[in-house]
Amino acid sequence: MRFWQKTYIFTLILFLLCLNGGIMSLAAYTYRQSVTATEATVTAEQYYIARSFERDHIDLLSAGENASPTLLMETYGNHYKGKGIFLSFEKDGKTLYSDFTDSFSVKDDTLTHKKLDGKRYVFISSSLCDGRYRFVFAKNVEQLDKEFYSLIAVYSLTALAVSAFLAVCLFFILKRLSVPLDKLRSATQKIEKGDFSVTVEEKGRDEFSLLAKSFNSMLHKINEQMVALEADAEKKQMLVDNMAHELRTPLTSIQGYAEYLEKAAVTEENRILAAKYIVSESVRLKKISDILLDTAYIRGNTVTQTPVDLGKLLKDTADRLQPKAQKCGVELLTACDESIVMGDATLLSMLFYNLADNAVKACNEGGTVKLTCADNKAVISDNGKGMTEEQLLHITEPFYRTDRSRSRAEGGAGLGLALCKQIALSHNADISFSSRMGEGTEITVTFTT
Amino acid sequence: MAKILIVEDEKSINNLIKLNLELVGHTCLQAFDGNTALELTANGRFDLAILDVMLPGASGFDIIGALKDIPAIFVTAKGGLEDRLRGLRAGADDYIVKPFEILELVARVDAVLRRTKAVSDSFEFDDIRVDFDCKRVYKSGEEIMLKPKEFDLLEALIRNRNLALTREKLLNIVWDFAYEGDSRTVDVHIQKLRKKLSLEDRLKTVYKTGYRLEV
Repeated sequence: MRFWQKTYIFTLILFLLCLNGGIMSLAAYTYRQSVTATEATVTAEQYYIARSFERDHIDLLSAGENASPTLLMETYGNHYKGKGIFLSFEKDGKTLYSDFTDSFSVKDDTLTHKKLDGKRYVFISSSLCDGRYRFVFAKNVEQLDKEFYSLIAVYSLTALAVSAFLAVCLFFILKRLSVPLDKLRSATQKIEKGDFSVTVEEKGRDEFSLLAKSFNSMLHKINEQMVALEADAEKKQMLVDNMAHELRTPLTSIQGYAEYLEKAAVTEENRILAAKYIVSESVRLKKISDILLDTAYIRGNTVTQTPVDLGKLLKDTADRLQPKAQKCGVELLTACDESIVMGDATLLSMLFYNLADNAVKACNEGGTVKLTCADNKAVISDNGKGMTEEQLLHITEPFYRTDRSRSRAEGGAGLGLALCKQIALSHNADISFSSRMGEGTEITVTFTT
Repeated sequence: MAKILIVEDEKSINNLIKLNLELVGHTCLQAFDGNTALELTANGRFDLAILDVMLPGASGFDIIGALKDIPAIFVTAKGGLEDRLRGLRAGADDYIVKPFEILELVARVDAVLRRTKAVSDSFEFDDIRVDFDCKRVYKSGEEIMLKPKEFDLLEALIRNRNLALTREKLLNIVWDFAYEGDSRTVDVHIQKLRKKLSLEDRLKTVYKTGYRLEV
């Protein structure tokens, strides 16, 4: 059973109990009041009749010897019978006059309710004329019962009408109040089926709208996470695709040339060519696997934090790269202040060597590569061919190459900058690239430690 | 034989394809990027183009559009069904996935060329002429009678000439299924071919490998 239905039923039961209980006690009270009022009237009437009879009886006795009190009693009896009042007179246990057909006993000086022939009477019995007679007075009060029944009827009808009205109103109010809950429920059902695009209405300021608000913000968070996860999965899939491609290319060469050597009647010249390709492509495979392992290692391990002088590191890098730069006709310049950062000297040296190596490769003959550092910041700039914005976006992706054929010809694996980024990340360093086509590239590595 | 355009940016693979196709008698032209390939197709006439899909400059799909009625074979590292279908829909006649075997490459090139009738279906060397359509062999103008399997063996050797074929491979091609362990059958037929066509100098036994027809 739904919450609102439970609330409805319990509220309704409670209300009906209270309402009907209240009405019933009100009816009882009203009835009691009218009984008391009637009894008072009846007592007064009985008193009046008794006093009046006593006066007439004294008058009668003083009038003469043969005056009959019985006649007086009959006169009284007949007179009051028409008014719904019945009388009886006794003397020493003997009935002198009685309007009653049945005999019954009534206590003296008390007020008694009795039913005769289905009609209600109030009986009052008392001694009369200084104890000479016993006087029984009865008045028909069936009006009281009638009043009682009509009272019950009116009250019951009212209670029924109010209850019905309340039942209907309560039903719609509770149903309406539970609408936001229903909406939440249908939203969760949609989510259960995988539709994360739902939002819940946030109307009003009650608990439901608060709940809807937190529900929506939760959904928003989940959506963000899902998008991030999907992007991540896509990236990984792309990496796998790229890797398959990158591995297949050298594999094709190795397999092909080996097969060629095995099957063809080769000239000495072609034998050497084939063997050279097999060696160079194997080296390329080895390089790819090495870098992938390095990257995985760096990702999986925290780097050792020792103080490293950036300036010295850059000068060493320049020295190591000098022979290659000279061969390419590229000038290497360093302008390094002492700047101590925390990190792993070997990894950082790998990072700067890779960056500087790329810079040298980007330069034509006569180009210049500058390595500078100051205040936890290393800058490597060249005046080489530069990159487009589109290229800049992708350069740190594994296997991305700005110039595929040239990179391959130089034996590049397309993983250098991906590794650099990983090293920078593991040092909490920020690596940023800015470049203009034809003017050169500037790479800034900023350390935060 | 056929004139074939090879478009592949990976120099080693481009050379590999060229070396092998030249072995079986084709003439090859090489292009290392898409734009060069487009220029070559605009100026020259080829019997077949072998295309890498991912190329600097114009892609393999761009080039196939410019080829018009020249048959094309895609060579790519992506072997997924989706990529395969995309290549075939773009108009490629066949599809080779890297890494590939030389014999597979030669067989596919041969199949496409035969299908498009770009090569005459006969082969001549020394004083021997082989007519593949009529399944006849002539030596010095005189027909030499060969048994069907002998002819099939000769055809396999000619189509993969200058390449060593293992006994297993020959069994597979000629007898159409693997004769487990019965490679003597191949040796017997080879001996007969050598004798009937006097091929002792041409049909060589390659040490630990198989047989090679050197032309």
